[in-house]
Amino acid sequence: MNQGMTRREFVKKGLTMVAVGLTAPSFITRTALAMNNPWDVTQLTSRPGVSDDRVLVVVQLGGGNDGLNTVIPYSQDAYYRARPTLAVPQTGVLRINDEVGLHPSLAKVMDLHEQGAMAVIQGVGYPNPSRSHFKSMEIWQTADPDGRVVRYGWIGRYFDSKCPVCEQPTVGVNVGPAMPLAMQASSGMGVSLEDPEAFQWMPALNGIGAKEEQELFRLLNAPAVRAGGDGVGTIDFLRHTAMNAYVSSAQVREAARGYRGGVEYPNSQFAASLRLIAQMIAGKLPTKVYYAHMTGFDTHASQHGAHENLLAQFAAGVAAFYKDLEAQGNAERVMVLAFSEFGRRVAENGSRGTDHGTAAPMFVFGKGLKGGLYGAQPSLADLVDGDLKHVIDFRSVYATVLDRWLGADPVEILGSSFDRVGFI
Amino acid sequence: MAETLLGTFRPSAADPWDRAKAAHLLGRAGFGGTPDDIARLAGMRFEDAVEELLEYERISDEPFPEVDFSEVRELAQALVDLRRGGAAEREVREASQQLRRANVQKFQEIRAGWVQRMLQTRRPLQEKMVLFWHGHLVSGFPDVTSAEHMAMQLALFRQMATGSFKELILAISQDPAMLSYLDNNSNRKGKPNENYARELMELFTLGVGNFGEQDVKEAARAFTGWTFAANEFVFRRNQHDDGMKMFLGRTGTFDGTDVIEIIFAQPAADRHLPRKLFEFFAYQGPEEPVIDELAAIFRRSDWSVRAVLRALFRSALFYSPRTVRAQVKSPVELVVGAVRALGVEVPPQALLRALDLMGQSLLYPPNVGGWPKGKGWINTATILVRYNFSKLLLDGTMPGAGGRRSMTGGAPGRVGTRARPIPLEQLIDAGRVWTAGDVITQLLDRFIQAPLEPRRRWALLRAFGTNREDAPVTIDSAQFPDQLRAAVHLIMSMPEYQLT
Repeated sequence: MNQGMTRREFVKKGLTMVAVGLTAPSFITRTALAMNNPWDVTQLTSRPGVSDDRVLVVVQLGGGNDGLNTVIPYSQDAYYRARPTLAVPQTGVLRINDEVGLHPSLAKVMDLHEQGAMAVIQGVGYPNPSRSHFKSMEIWQTADPDGRVVRYGWIGRYFDSKCPVCEQPTVGVNVGPAMPLAMQASSGMGVSLEDPEAFQWMPALNGIGAKEEQELFRLLNAPAVRAGGDGVGTIDFLRHTAMNAYVSSAQVREAARGYRGGVEYPNSQFAASLRLIAQMIAGKLPTKVYYAHMTGFDTHASQHGAHENLLAQFAAGVAAFYKDLEAQGNAERVMVLAFSEFGRRVAENGSRGTDHGTAAPMFVFGKGLKGGLYGAQPSLADLVDGDLKHVIDFRSVYATVLDRWLGADPVEILGSSFDRVGFI
Repeated sequence: MAETLLGTFRPSAADPWDRAKAAHLLGRAGFGGTPDDIARLAGMRFEDAVEELLEYERISDEPFPEVDFSEVRELAQALVDLRRGGAAEREVREASQQLRRANVQKFQEIRAGWVQRMLQTRRPLQEKMVLFWHGHLVSGFPDVTSAEHMAMQLALFRQMATGSFKELILAISQDPAMLSYLDNNSNRKGKPNENYARELMELFTLGVGNFGEQDVKEAARAFTGWTFAANEFVFRRNQHDDGMKMFLGRTGTFDGTDVIEIIFAQPAADRHLPRKLFEFFAYQGPEEPVIDELAAIFRRSDWSVRAVLRALFRSALFYSPRTVRAQVKSPVELVVGAVRALGVEVPPQALLRALDLMGQSLLYPPNVGGWPKGKGWINTATILVRYNFSKLLLDGTMPGAGGRRSMTGGAPGRVGTRARPIPLEQLIDAGRVWTAGDVITQLLDRFIQAPLEPRRRWALLRAFGTNREDAPVTIDSAQFPDQLRAAVHLIMSMPEYQLT
């Protein structure tokens, strides 16, 4: 039981304890043990029939992945007409059925499809689609296409709905350079890291002694004691973030250090992120949602080659991760959900690339899902401004995951009711 | 006339132009400075201090070494020759890899040279604006493959740093790095590429919601044929679509220049850049009436960036609690500011590595939207990197500096990253130190320029083995350097130090 300490706990007890016992070593561990761990993450799920130990891994494909060259409608002439230089020849397509198939660079996830561990949801989008990277990414991350100015992310709101467990900073862990809006909650912001070994505060090499410096560090970074409310100023935000880092640092590093799986990962930053996530899962971090990133999908020019590489990196990373989870015995309890802010224009442009578009497929991986195709390929004959019409609202996918995977109430989190998709 | 929100700051006995305000101006309009730099600025008349920063052409800047691109030019020419001569594929591939490696090396040299400039320039506002433009009119690796193009773009930003924004937009629309970053170099008649046209309006000039999808398509047509050859802008008439276009409610056979004219006739263009400038120099989420006033100044002055900055830096709002010490330092502000405040020499390679770890890899922006802002810089990982950064200055090393991977996609990050520890005697004025409280006061004056809550100040006293302000300290005692080192590290590991 290595649960660390929560933010609120620190605010309530931490400062007094520092003030009273200046020399008290590692008080955080002691209080955490004394607390008998009332913030157990198993409280996160409380739905009959939904297991308590499930984990979600969100993969963000930044830049707008070309859905049509990912899940290819190879049986349609219209696809080949629209893409004279970029279309994937029929012979290369990894066929899923008589109408669509995967890009050949996705061979590694085709294996998962054959094992029933991959669901492809076709034609996912939302009404009045924005073709701005930033607006559309914000919409996907907040699940708010109507512009109601939602300040927190859809995952953050899920954490908020599960307080007091939301107070545990490691409930959400982002592996990447910047914390996504999706993970931001009114109860605070989870953990973000890239390199576990850099994820610690180091006392000065020749200072006054590590223990004493750690103690003073805590005092200097302790959040102000206040009644509550989330309208904290910048300085409080910094203190809370510093304390979240402080209370989760040892936990995260131990978890990452502890596991030496035998599974080989490809050499890419994305694969390294998934590997770190696999280590943290194996290390029993009390995390419900992990977030990983790939970028570079904004293929306006010379798409051939670049897009192939990205898809191959994605597939190889996911395949290695899945294999690792299987070796750990965790493949049943982990689900990977991959999305991009939009697909791309049906017709290629004059730069052998594609401009910003709309609806595109989403991918879900895991042993605990019902594999196969969901949704439908949007018609290539019925376009709006040269773009596809969406068939499934992305919030239906979120609602399915929230309800059937995480055991949360989608209406509370998404603001209204959405149909479920059958992959869980 | 009613007092406007942007009313001029008028120093008075009750609210004087003092060291705290001078430190604020130098931190925002530049990269901060030593206590002496701040004292000099505080000793000037307020208006003169603002003008010294704004009218930087009056100050001769030292000549900074230029990066030599002759090698990459030769390699690029060799590659062209090989292709023309129908060389074997393997040979072409090797030559192209060699060129790529040489360019990555040059990117690193440009980054190092730029950090050096930020550290040493006597025109801090000019360099701060180069940083602003790099984050606003974004280009970078890997989409820009030519390091020389990036160097040219930075030189353009430096040259037009505070001039007419409209002229800068025309220049950047013809800038080779931008033309390749947003693909306009392959935007041709018949099958336009929308990338530049969209971001020009959405990010650079108007903002989302101030144009439609049809305007993107029409503007893209207008920019067809705008490309470059070697290092020069070229207009290719045969690739240009000179047909009729309907753009933002007007009709004509527009080209890129016309599109820029029409964009600048939109009321949204008056407000977009002033808002970005305000958020960069003052705070996030400005009040709309403030932007109204800046927008009027911007339009009246024919889109003069300097006019907007002058109004801002002279305003009472800029020196009010709403602004002062209310913004999170960007990594560059933190890193360059620390080195400037300490007056020490640190190899730029080490500083670049620290910046990479904090999420601001110069010339490697995350995407066309540029850098995070304000609180966006801070998460559990970056706050620890920012805190540990002082170790780089104190001990010459920091965790992650030789990390398992570079955040800049393989750019060299480990070369010479070890810094020499700072000479501690430089940190305090030994002649004015008798007590632990004196030491803390001097350190806070150097690093934070604001008072600290008593209980936090008390924690810093603990670094000197006491909890009393008046406890005597002996500077030449054996333990004093270690205590001082610990105190500096703790101060730089405080949320207060992260603010500007």
